[in-house]
Amino acid sequence: MRNAAPLLAVHDLHVDFDTPAGPVAAVSGVSFEIEPNETVALVGESGSGKSVTALAMMRLLGRGATLRGQITCDGRDITGLTEKQMRSVRGRAMTMIFQDPMSSLDPLYSVGNQLVETVRLHNRMSRARAVERATELLDQVGIADPRGRLRAYPHQLSGGQRQRVMIALALACSPRLLIADEPTTALDVTIEAQILELIRGLQREYRMSLLLVTHDMAVVAEMADRVVVMYAGQVVESGAAEQILRQPQHPYTTALFQCIPTPVTDRSAALTAIPGAVPSPHELPPGCRFHPRCAVAFDRCVTGQVPLFPLDGGARHSRCWLSGDAASGRADRTVVTSASVPGPARRRR
Amino acid sequence: MVEYALRRALYGVLVIFMVTVFVFLALRAVPGDAVRIQLADAPGVTEEQIAERTAALGLDQPVLTQLFHFLGGAITGDFGASFSDGSSVGGLIADRLPVTGQLGLMALAIGVVLGVVIGMASAVRPNGLLDQSLRLVSVSGLSVPSFWLGLLLVTYLAVYAGWSPPLIYQGPAENLGGNLAQMTLPALALGAAAMASIARMLRSSLLEVLQSDHLRTVRARGAGRGTTLFKHATRNSLLPVFTVLGLQAGGILGGTVILESIFGIPGMGSLTFEAVQMRDYPVVLGCVIVYGAVFVVVNIVVDLMYGVIDPRVRYR
Repeated sequence: MRNAAPLLAVHDLHVDFDTPAGPVAAVSGVSFEIEPNETVALVGESGSGKSVTALAMMRLLGRGATLRGQITCDGRDITGLTEKQMRSVRGRAMTMIFQDPMSSLDPLYSVGNQLVETVRLHNRMSRARAVERATELLDQVGIADPRGRLRAYPHQLSGGQRQRVMIALALACSPRLLIADEPTTALDVTIEAQILELIRGLQREYRMSLLLVTHDMAVVAEMADRVVVMYAGQVVESGAAEQILRQPQHPYTTALFQCIPTPVTDRSAALTAIPGAVPSPHELPPGCRFHPRCAVAFDRCVTGQVPLFPLDGGARHSRCWLSGDAASGRADRTVVTSASVPGPARRRR
Repeated sequence: MVEYALRRALYGVLVIFMVTVFVFLALRAVPGDAVRIQLADAPGVTEEQIAERTAALGLDQPVLTQLFHFLGGAITGDFGASFSDGSSVGGLIADRLPVTGQLGLMALAIGVVLGVVIGMASAVRPNGLLDQSLRLVSVSGLSVPSFWLGLLLVTYLAVYAGWSPPLIYQGPAENLGGNLAQMTLPALALGAAAMASIARMLRSSLLEVLQSDHLRTVRARGAGRGTTLFKHATRNSLLPVFTVLGLQAGGILGGTVILESIFGIPGMGSLTFEAVQMRDYPVVLGCVIVYGAVFVVVNIVVDLMYGVIDPRVRYR
């Protein structure tokens, strides 16, 4: 199934932040790969470390963050590159769009100025030619009257238009990997669908890979080829989107799916939520990091780290004893908690 | 925007009017009589002569009458005549203003150029050795009064380098070298505070902008240091710097009064200083009106610059 060399590979990535209380691990041992033209969804709640992972890939974490592990882009490890060397990776190899398009555009320069700047950063061309290219890009991202809109300032655009401009700016770099960090979270639901459709179309046209960082399982179902689920700084499950959607292995993934309301959801009942919150990196629970919120936790979950079990001959992985036991046939366990989740996982068993 | 500028100018005129009235009344409240101070050293002056002189200068009239008389003249551009030699106040100011203009602009230029360079250099590596050393420079610049800094500069150069600035004023047209030799030290002393506050403000403003989302996005597109720091970061940090600049321009204007006297520069500052000592009311008032007008204009220009820098600024 996988034959091409990965465009990008993250191997055993650790990110620590310096805090007054000492270093804190935001990401611990994350590994995944992105193939050419593939869409990988990086999924998890707020605080799971997915955005930090994405920023680490761009080496945009800023001061106070220490990065360990390998990030290989086209076979070259970029973790040791200087800021100057990173400039040839950023934009050309990969670029990133962010959640809030208002704060991500420079408010003092017109859309045209920022587009022309980016176009000329990556292509040797005259200003007039770059203006042509900028107009073309605005047209491609579906902005009406692209030539006139070049003179607009970010504050004169709507949220959806701003995100389209952000996408145009990313395209101006012709990257091979586009990292989209919650690109539709700040937008209306109707606009969200349009933007996702736009990204998907452009991805095909520009032959880009896409790393989609999101907490929204509906978006994952819509877009992803492969899914990497993160919890508290670790990968807890990964595999082909199709399989994960059909048969999630990790209780956390299952719980995430339960949170999507459907047209048949009983409206008188409260919406399903996973009880509790992602633990702060200061106070990670012992054993499985998800066990305090897990509906099916048992004695082994409380002690000892859970390994990432390979399943289906290595095509997917799950960081849960249950998956490991299912693979090895072991079944001695004592249920220690029965968290109040209207047991998606329990029902499955 | 033109409408806004006009309205601001109108308010400015009002401000200058109020300053004029206040200073006029304050001058009369200060102890010391103009005529007696003028004639203090003259031997054998009689009380009749003093009364005669007082009447000649119009100082025997009620204060309000004098005020209306002055305002009436000021509106038509006639600020009266100096008490000491009868020369026109307008003419005196016209002679002195270019000198102070040169000094003030030199001070402002020194403050802006050094302030911007220091501010940027400090923000590149915050809390590094360079930042720490430059912080010492700017905190000193903020804390040391300009007249004292001026005196220190003169003293140290004289003692250790055996050099002192010329004491006889030469215009830039007749002898540029001599002119600059005399003007540079007071300009440096005057510009130090502006330099320090611009550097501090630019540093903190830049550090904040460098952390912002849009700067991160610029970097995510692979832009180099030139584009990120000089194009995007700097312009986004300028608004508070301009606010400081407007305030510091006022400080520089005020500082000229003492520094011109220390360095023997025949500008508006020394004119004001001497006029206050001599209770030469018309000259003091003329100078105050000019200082006020310059300050008002500088602040209008600063407010209009906000709109030039930031397209989101709207004038109402």
